[in-house]
Amino acid sequence: MISPQDALKKPVPTPDADSAALWRGLRDGELLLQHCGACGDVQYYQQATCRRCGGDNIAHRAASGRGKVHSFSVVHRAPGPAFKADLPYAVLLVELDEGPRMISSYVGGPPDEVTFDMAVMLVCEPISDDIALPRFRKA
Amino acid sequence: MSRDTLRGKVAVIGIGQSPTGKVPGRSPLWLAADAAAKALADCGLPKSAVDGVLSSPAMASSFHRFSVAFSEYFGIQPTFSNTLQVSGATAATMFNIGAAAIHGGLAEVVMVVAGDSMLSGLTPDLALRALTESRDQQYEMPFGIPVANTFAMTAHRHMKEFGTTAEQFAEVAVVQRRHASRTPGAQQTAPITVDDVLNSAMVTTPYHKLDCSLISDGGAAFILTSAEHAKALGIEKPIYILGGGECYTHEHIFLMPSLTTTGAVQSSRRAYAMAGFGPDDIDVAGVYDCFTGTVIMMLEDLGFCPKGEGGRFVADGGMSYGGKIPSNTHGGLLSFAHSGIPGSLFHFYEVIAQLRGQCGVRQVEGAELGLVHSLGAGFATNATTILGTESTL
Repeated sequence: MISPQDALKKPVPTPDADSAALWRGLRDGELLLQHCGACGDVQYYQQATCRRCGGDNIAHRAASGRGKVHSFSVVHRAPGPAFKADLPYAVLLVELDEGPRMISSYVGGPPDEVTFDMAVMLVCEPISDDIALPRFRKA
Repeated sequence: MSRDTLRGKVAVIGIGQSPTGKVPGRSPLWLAADAAAKALADCGLPKSAVDGVLSSPAMASSFHRFSVAFSEYFGIQPTFSNTLQVSGATAATMFNIGAAAIHGGLAEVVMVVAGDSMLSGLTPDLALRALTESRDQQYEMPFGIPVANTFAMTAHRHMKEFGTTAEQFAEVAVVQRRHASRTPGAQQTAPITVDDVLNSAMVTTPYHKLDCSLISDGGAAFILTSAEHAKALGIEKPIYILGGGECYTHEHIFLMPSLTTTGAVQSSRRAYAMAGFGPDDIDVAGVYDCFTGTVIMMLEDLGFCPKGEGGRFVADGGMSYGGKIPSNTHGGLLSFAHSGIPGSLFHFYEVIAQLRGQCGVRQVEGAELGLVHSLGAGFATNATTILGTESTL
């Protein structure tokens, strides 16, 4: 069970060996996707192997940062006290130009301007010295 | 599929439900044990007859091994037990795995049991956060993604792709509230209209408060045994497990292959194949209903109507009495009760009671074949169970 004290804090990502490069990249302003050297598949969720072919020859390449909104939902009831001050905010399911989808949230405008297939652009927003979250604004 | 499946080999012989809704001061273990005692009384077995226990974790309990803690609390020492966790789909997996364990000789009498006190044992904030805790700590949770949000994004996309409307979502809540108004113990029974749903507070678009399931307390328990043992015990109306199927398509919502077609297609297809029946044969259904749009998508994926037509199907009365597939006749998670994983066990309780012909004013006439579909975690987990009376064997 989560404690009431912990529920007051926003969850902050704790990088691990699989994801360290992603979070380092975001801190430096770029979104690193994993490209499989064997089958060419591109993945956002970081891991040691390619989910499609199992290959372990994986290279990081910076994404263009461009994508479009595949789906979204504007949150009016916060998932716990930590997010209440942000209401309302739009959670996005972004489809990157490179293919993979990712969860993010909308910045740079009111949440009700988000629409399906809207073009969006990456914004790396620092939340601590080490961590920047990949958010998106209208392109 | 193996020829020697569990089809018809295992029967549900006892069912029990604790008080549901708001049950102040009662722990998840108490709720589970109360339901367990009722399930045993229902079939006349002593607790010493139970040699298998399957359960699921409770959000308002710190016991990691809930099935083990339950057994101690209930005073039994089973020789087969596990605490299963695939979120909302767990209910149907407990039936599928319980039946497989009996068929495979691991146990003779399996109790499926769960209880949770999300309403009285957690504050609303903690209940929502506990549900949200299951999202990925690095890739999802930092963006403030409530549990409702993953389901909302699928429903939203369904609107975009198929023209499904907020009014059609609302109709699910209206129908199920009508059903709940005839169910003793239902948490919400006051009639509602489509406008009531649309005018209730927005939670996460496109879902309003009345599109969302309740938060409740409650437990349920079931006694499963082999068909032969049920006969030997002289059980009046055993309800047989005819088929089970599951499918796990992703963990993260951003890796869901399609937002509008789910693993329920595969899980139900496998269950239908094992049972030897199809969607047109089913008389009554329990369809997981964490949100209204979930039901519409499931009615499609379970084969009760074509893909994309779920909204119209519901608006035309397809899930109501007299419609193609009367569903959630107790009111479901939306109006009867939703106490976490036990919530979907209430669908089992209702469908089994329907097949026994015990539902009084709610009885679906001539119900012989039932389906329960459980799912969870933004459609990451899907599990289906098909049940029937002796006439369906």
